[in-house]
Amino acid sequence: MKKLIYILIVGGFLTSCVAVKEYEKININDPDMILASRKANKFETTFQSYRESAAGANGGKTGGGCGCN
Amino acid sequence: MKNILLIALLFSTTFAITQEQAKDSTKVYKKRVLEKIEVDFLTSYYSQDGDNASVTGGIGTEEMTDLATDIVVSIPLNDNDILTINAEISAYTSASSSNLNPFDNDNPSGVTGSPWVESTGDSRKDTWINGNVSYSHSSDDRNKIWSANLNFAAEYDYTSAGIGGSYTWLFNEKNTEFGIKGNAYFDTWNPRTPVELDAFRDTQNLNLGFLGNLDILDQNGNVIDKDGANVWNPLSTVLVDDKTRNTFAFSLSFSQIVNKNAQISFFADFIQQNGWLSSPLQRVYLGDRDNFYIGNPQSIPNYTSSSNRDVFQLADDIERLPDSRVKIPIGMRFNYYINEIFVARTYYRFYTDDWGITSHTAEIEIPIKISDKFTLYPSYRYYTQTAADYFAPYEENLSTQEFYTSDFDLSDFDANQYGFGIKYTDIFTKLHIWKLNLKSVELKYSHYDRSTGLTSDIITLGFNYIFE
Repeated sequence: MKKLIYILIVGGFLTSCVAVKEYEKININDPDMILASRKANKFETTFQSYRESAAGANGGKTGGGCGCN
Repeated sequence: MKNILLIALLFSTTFAITQEQAKDSTKVYKKRVLEKIEVDFLTSYYSQDGDNASVTGGIGTEEMTDLATDIVVSIPLNDNDILTINAEISAYTSASSSNLNPFDNDNPSGVTGSPWVESTGDSRKDTWINGNVSYSHSSDDRNKIWSANLNFAAEYDYTSAGIGGSYTWLFNEKNTEFGIKGNAYFDTWNPRTPVELDAFRDTQNLNLGFLGNLDILDQNGNVIDKDGANVWNPLSTVLVDDKTRNTFAFSLSFSQIVNKNAQISFFADFIQQNGWLSSPLQRVYLGDRDNFYIGNPQSIPNYTSSSNRDVFQLADDIERLPDSRVKIPIGMRFNYYINEIFVARTYYRFYTDDWGITSHTAEIEIPIKISDKFTLYPSYRYYTQTAADYFAPYEENLSTQEFYTSDFDLSDFDANQYGFGIKYTDIFTKLHIWKLNLKSVELKYSHYDRSTGLTSDIITLGFNYIFE
């Protein structure tokens, strides 16, 4: 698993040595390619943070703002 | 005729090019960060059930429903600045929290209760409201974005005020993005504690107040002598001595476009909390203390069974947890544009904290464009966590411990979630209500299964409008 993550990271950076130009970003700019949780998942993320101990690193609650964990 | 047309075409093309050059020489075209006012409307219905209610010490019904609505209005103030106003309301009914006072019900046999029966008391329902205002500014070259936000939230026993800010820097022809973010929440409890602990704290005498009118039973179902030696006596009469809870969150993020079809991001949060971090509502039953009940003595042997409808065990204490906690979640997303139909969205998070919990979250969603207007969103999420150092189930914590809880959200478990959504997108925004033109509408359903037996379902409906 560690190796796979390492290969993904290193591979990612090596491939990205040549910057993708704006006019080449049509696929990257697809709305489903956004690097964030989708808006429709907002309440799901909230309930996950209530029912699970882990929170954060997903754009959701981190513990403040409610009497949750 | 052909020649005339050709000359006209050449002339108009030349004129157009000249005009464009003239424009370029005087002004660099700058696209607005947000063209028009956008309104996002999201509503959801959530329901859950399980057998480990934390308000009743780790046993009892966890039945709960919640109806939530969220409205986000994004307003372009000029070419560079956006003001976003977010209002959210969430109204729940919960069998578990109703049993803060389990004796407040319509049971014809008198004052009795059970962890398996919903009480009719006020605590069975509550409404959480949240408001958030944020302002963001983008630089002219769109390579730097900073934002600031204010937040306020309130429910019956809790209020929160928050402030935050972020800075994002794009470089390498916008192929690389680096962001930092900070948030602070200053929260206050208006603590509500279990009714029997409240009553004892106030009188410290079993013959007075609410408890004075009731028979208290021992483990064998015999009515105790309230002036005798073997009586119910909570571990502490000091329930909540600090009403504050502060949270400070600091986040770092890094995103990279890998190639024309793939991008990746890494993010890490450092979250520090202090104050009253346990929930005052949650009972604990300790294994090294005698048990006492109110209700039907014949139901005591079946106390932990859902067939128990008319006896309730008096708490030994509320949950006790440390007054500080450090949480460190580290996550990554990797999205890959497979072709015009499929996109793969993946997410992984590692989490650790100083209460002894370690968790892993993995999620995959495959958007499938079945036409220009419709996209399907099948998804799967796996979650696993170890237990907090202070967790033990019903009657397994000891009075010798400094900290204890029977909240199964802090137990060792894993969970699977299956989701399916469908989105309709109309780039021409033909459908409209008043001045709101519909850009997209999405319906999503998810089912969640936890290894502790808790199950939940959530259905979400979202609309995205452009304001004309």
